[in-house]
This record gives sequence, structure tokens and C-alpha cells, in this order.
Amino acid sequence: MRTFTVLGILFYTVVLVLIGLTLIIFSLNILPSQDINNLLLYMEYSPHSRIIIGLSGLLLILITFSFAQLILGKFQRERTIAFTTSSGQVTIALSAVEDLIRRLAGIIPEIKELRPDVIASKKGIIVDLRVVLKADANIPELTSRLQEITRAKIQEVLGIEEQIMIKIHVAKIISLEEKERKRRELEKEQPTIPFGGYGRV
Amino acid sequence: MHNEESRTDLGRIRIHKNVIASISSIASCEIDGVKRIGRDFKSGLLELAGKKSLSAIKITIDKNEDVKIEIPLVIKYGFNIPDIANRVQENVRSALEKMTNLSIKDININVQSIERG
Repeated sequence: MRTFTVLGILFYTVVLVLIGLTLIIFSLNILPSQDINNLLLYMEYSPHSRIIIGLSGLLLILITFSFAQLILGKFQRERTIAFTTSSGQVTIALSAVEDLIRRLAGIIPEIKELRPDVIASKKGIIVDLRVVLKADANIPELTSRLQEITRAKIQEVLGIEEQIMIKIHVAKIISLEEKERKRRELEKEQPTIPFGGYGRV
Repeated sequence: MHNEESRTDLGRIRIHKNVIASISSIASCEIDGVKRIGRDFKSGLLELAGKKSLSAIKITIDKNEDVKIEIPLVIKYGFNIPDIANRVQENVRSALEKMTNLSIKDININVQSIERG
């Protein structure tokens, strides 16, 4: 797998260097534009070269997709919590833990929006919560309750004994007036249909 | 694709990796709390193209004919993940041993996400 990654990096380095060289040659006017034109005309009218170019394009797309999958897969694998049972290993994607925390927003009515970011480190699990609150919320009481609920939920669902650190960042407080204003703005944006109410029973 | 092979007096029996993946998939979904089998890039693309695929479950058979299975899972919200993972591992192991007599080395579970049941 590592060889494939190295080959992929080399491939993209070569391709990008070639593109760079082409641009430099073009800007320095080393290659006459007539030659470029002739080459393009040859490629346009020769069926063989068109097939080769098409297949090269397809191959490039396939290589790009497999390389992206390799890199993204590696990143995804690294973002996990793992433990071993008698039958094998269990890995839990941190995005799954984020999904779980996001669902907590429904439990606490004062929370308008909840964006979690979970990091697994040697010290334990660090949870960064970015919250948007409603104006009637008591922030110290609510944040403390949110920390407790989040900690309890993670421990209950994941069954881990590791230290869980929960950081909360209150990003915004939405007042009821603001909510009302937004609703009115939306209503204004929607044009009313003249005599739209007529004919309704 | 590599297949698990055994020999009898009448000939040889080969079990395709897809069969092992199918059994693992069914046994996993039998457990209460499992929403569905997760996806990987390849199975996602195949699903977009309208083809049902089991490729998200990875089966590896080593030289000693030990089978290693990797199962991506989506768990229902509200269930205890280690408990579900353990039950899936046990159910998959017993289903495979019962149906194929294979020697299962590892059943690795990868919990990809949590969805509402």
C-alpha cells in the first residue's frame, strides 16, 4: 500500500512538473504557435491519436479516484477509537461519535444548533462543542448540563473508561425577536399573489 | 477472487468470498441495534449505479486458511456500541462456523456512523 502511495505521489509530481514546464515554454514563446497548432490539428484529425487521448483521460480519472480513495481512506482510518474483544478488533469512527452527540441537541430545548468535533488523543477523548443557544437559556447551567449529558452518553454508548474532556464554545445566541424578524423577512421575500385568497373554500 | 477450498472424496468444495460476505452481512443485520452494513467508496459507487454490492465487507484468507473479516456497520442511536459489536462478532462467528466450517481468525468491526432507528 505504501508503494502505491509513493507511486501516486511521484505520478502527480511528474504530471504537475510537465504542466509547469508546458506553461513556462508557452510563456517564453520557445515553441512556435504554428507547431502547437499543427500538433492540435493532427490530434483532431487522426482517429488513433484521439482514441489514445481519450483512453489516457479515462486512465487519469481512474488513477485520481483510486488515489483519492487511498488518501481519504487512510485519513478516515486514523480518525477512530479502537478496542479489542476476544473475536477481533472494534473500531468506532469519530464521525459516528459526532453523529451521536449531534442527536443530543434534540434533548435540550434551549439548544438551537450543535456542532461537535471529536478528537482522540493519548490523554483521552476531547470533544469540542460549538453551540448556538436560544436567548432564554441560562448559559452556565446549560453548558454544565450539556457537558454532563455528553460525557454520560459517550460513556454509556461507547463503554469506555478513558478521560473525556468536553469544551463548549457558545458561538451565537439567537433571540426570539431575531427569530421573528427572520420570519418576517422571509415572508416579505415571498411575493404575495394578487387575489390569491379568492376561490378558496 | 480467492476462495476458501476444502477437499472431499468426491472432489473439492470451494466457497467464494462473496458467500462469506453474504453470511456475515445477514448475521450482522440479525442483531438488534444494527441499522445496516456500512459503505466504502467502491460499494457506494456501485450503489449509485444501481447495483447491489457486498464489497463493503472485506474478507481476507491467509496462507493458513484463516479467515479475517472486516465489517463496516451503522448502529442505531441509543444502543451500546461495544455490546452490539460483541454480539455481531459472536453471531457472525457462529453463523460462519455452522454454515461453512471455516476457521475464523478475526472479525473486525468498524462502526462508521449512528443513525436513528
